[in-house]
Amino acid sequence: MSGLLRSRGTAWILIAAALALPFAAHAAEFPYLVRVGGIVGLFMLLGLGLNFTLGYVGLFDLGFIAFYAIGAYTTSIAMKAHVPAPAAILLAIAVTVFARLLLGISILRLRGDYLAVVTMGFGEIARLTINNMDWLTNGPKGMQVRPWRPLAFLAKDPNVQFYLLIVAAVLAGVAATRRLEDSRVGRAWVAIREDEVAARLSGIPVREYKLLAFTLSAVFAGLAGSLFALWEQFVTPESFVFWESVLVVSIVVLGGMGSISGVLLGALILAGVPPLMQATLSAEWINYRYLFFGLILVLVTLFRPQGLLPSSRREAELTS
Amino acid sequence: MVLQQLVNALTLGAIYSLIALGYTLVYGILAMINFAHSEVLMLGAFAALGLATILPAAFGTGALGLGGMFVVSMLGAGLVNVIVERFAYRPLRHISRLAPLISAIGVSIVLQNAVFLWLSTQSLSFPQPVEIKQIPLGGGASVSSLQLVILGAALALMALLHFWVEKTKMGKAMRACADDITTAGLMGINADVVIAVTFFVGGALGGAAGVLYGMNYGSIKYNLGFLPGAKAFTAAVLGGIGNIRGAVLGGFILGGLEVLASGYIPNGAQWRDVIAFTVLILVLLVRPSGLLGEKLAEKV
Amino acid sequence: MTRAKALLEVKDLAQHFGGLKAVDQVNLTISEGEIVSVIGPNGAGKTTFFNVLTGVYPGSRGEIVFDGQPIRGLPSHEIVARGVARTFQNIRLFPDMTALENVMVGRHTRTVQFLLGPLLRTRAFLEEEAAIEARAKELLEIVGLKALGNDLARNLPYGAQRKLEIARALASDPKLLILDEPTAGMNPTESQDLVALVRKVRVLGVTVLLIEHQMRVVMDISDRVFVFDYGVKIAEGTPREVVSNPRVIEAYLGKEAA
Repeated sequence: MSGLLRSRGTAWILIAAALALPFAAHAAEFPYLVRVGGIVGLFMLLGLGLNFTLGYVGLFDLGFIAFYAIGAYTTSIAMKAHVPAPAAILLAIAVTVFARLLLGISILRLRGDYLAVVTMGFGEIARLTINNMDWLTNGPKGMQVRPWRPLAFLAKDPNVQFYLLIVAAVLAGVAATRRLEDSRVGRAWVAIREDEVAARLSGIPVREYKLLAFTLSAVFAGLAGSLFALWEQFVTPESFVFWESVLVVSIVVLGGMGSISGVLLGALILAGVPPLMQATLSAEWINYRYLFFGLILVLVTLFRPQGLLPSSRREAELTS
Repeated sequence: MVLQQLVNALTLGAIYSLIALGYTLVYGILAMINFAHSEVLMLGAFAALGLATILPAAFGTGALGLGGMFVVSMLGAGLVNVIVERFAYRPLRHISRLAPLISAIGVSIVLQNAVFLWLSTQSLSFPQPVEIKQIPLGGGASVSSLQLVILGAALALMALLHFWVEKTKMGKAMRACADDITTAGLMGINADVVIAVTFFVGGALGGAAGVLYGMNYGSIKYNLGFLPGAKAFTAAVLGGIGNIRGAVLGGFILGGLEVLASGYIPNGAQWRDVIAFTVLILVLLVRPSGLLGEKLAEKV
Repeated sequence: MTRAKALLEVKDLAQHFGGLKAVDQVNLTISEGEIVSVIGPNGAGKTTFFNVLTGVYPGSRGEIVFDGQPIRGLPSHEIVARGVARTFQNIRLFPDMTALENVMVGRHTRTVQFLLGPLLRTRAFLEEEAAIEARAKELLEIVGLKALGNDLARNLPYGAQRKLEIARALASDPKLLILDEPTAGMNPTESQDLVALVRKVRVLGVTVLLIEHQMRVVMDISDRVFVFDYGVKIAEGTPREVVSNPRVIEAYLGKEAA
């Protein structure tokens, strides 16, 4: 089954399906579907990003959403300063990466469980700081973002425009991740995860490579945050609470750490199902979503630690 | 002014210390951060509230009320901790360091949301069994009877714990397991039982802290555990995680830092949470073994 | 008679852990092309010594000069890049990577492609990947594991795992190969096999330093032997010289036997 899901043909089919979604939504008179698609796409990006940190190198990061926030807010502030949107996006990515690099340099030598707590602490510090610096960020009242409608020639609905942008970003992210996996750098990361000492004694500069994985995560977070801000046209600290970090961790754990297709599926389920249920069933469903995530984390860890679509290597690691 | 700050700091510190002890006991024996501890303390508070609500005549006020609330919260919280350990952590102990952690986070979310969805989404007012009197200390400062009760209860529990760990057979077994669980097992100690007892004791202390928290702030909510839990964990790390005295020391230091920050930094109250987390990061960077902890190395 | 060049010079090396002198006042020289064994009772500090050589421990005092450059205290990956590779007492392979992938990882210090190459799939990147794979296959063949390339390292038989570790170490084109108890747990046939492999390695131009407990192997393969006891080098010489050295006998068997 997973072989089928991984084949080339399947990839093209899925891409076609993704591109066809707006048409299907229009035909079914269910435009909300495009919005859900966009949200799922953003979480796919976040999942792919966290995958570098958690999936490849095994660093337990509980504050990843802070970097989504940094990307979003940098974009908002830049747009307010009349920086053209594409430059704002690049700036946001740069700032996010830089912040991540600084954090990484400080904390990467910590042991696994300490790292979890420190990243959680940093996530909270980031959110609280954004919340408190209202001269810059407008604090809890949130910031409006200057409108940007890049694909107006393609589609009138901004939801569709940004959906397409997000799809493009996800495709680029998947391609980049795949290519890095299959390289000297990717092998080094796996080696570090499997036996750090042996990796070091095989000539791999472990500390630098961990920092590299940690920092690359931020490219995805910054890009996703940027697109989020430009799409929603409004950012508030409430969108970046600790539970969102947990959600991204859940996506990676559920899908299968280190597995690209797993992360995509995880995002589809965890970020896509709740809003769909909310729209089709009742508004109350959304309140159950966190309970749902918690249960998933516990049950998946207990009964299927390798995730839904594990990379073959991970399956071997966890089921022996 | 300073005296008042001191009184407030001691009160806050006492609560943090109790919670920190819960983290440190579990960490000492399993090298695991019990992320669900914050929810265990919350459940303890709700258990006490439940008792006072169901039997208000007997347990709503007075010494009986206070005692009853402690008993119920400590038993309840301890039990929850034991159950969680048995079903969500034990099967994962031998798989990896990461797995129990992920599971713990999941449990934490489930517990918090269960209370949110099925008990109450709002703040609920917490019974006040102690009649609040202000006792002046001179210099404009005063300590309330409530604060005295909090401090007294916390110190009494810490003393009990100390006695338990140092003087009883089970306490000795706990210390042995914390030191080297494999060898303890080889010496005939049933590690699973000791671990369960440790979780019970840690949870019970957390439950008591929950009651004290409820009394101190007058109300409880489904998410009451998150911040105090995170801060108490900081305190445990500050003192040296796994070290009982360290947890107490760290709790009081953190309480002091928070009160100082609120008092003396402009807009300090807004930033008090940031301070706790910043302290956490700084301690882990500069002195990861904490004030009273020890360093460990890996054999190649 | 031409003197072989000194490849490794250790001067007054010590590694203390608090009050414990795991390694103390060690002086020795190894010349290019030699096969040198380090022997000694358990706990004599042999592995600790290797750990200092390879940067796992920083060493408390003294110098290590490798190929004319000081290396004590350098990070391990830097030492590997300079030409020192090692295997471990308790085999440390990457268990869920294939044998081929394990060896490919060993090639890390001799390759350069970083991020742009793989992301843009440049020709330089593709050529390097092909070269890495080819060299890894070559090395598997040299150690006799050609057929097992696609097996997961964790599934290989014990003897094959030891050989795989050597292949991975050789992938970094080392000048000095350090083997920590390479024949541990092997029967006589497997040990013979390994001896032949070590000789082959020397023919390929690699100097070999090994910790070994099987005396038959030591006598068979070594040009010279160093003997350690309680963290100190107590004797050195040809195998024959060392075996009849009373201090050595005393270290192994106690005063009476000497």
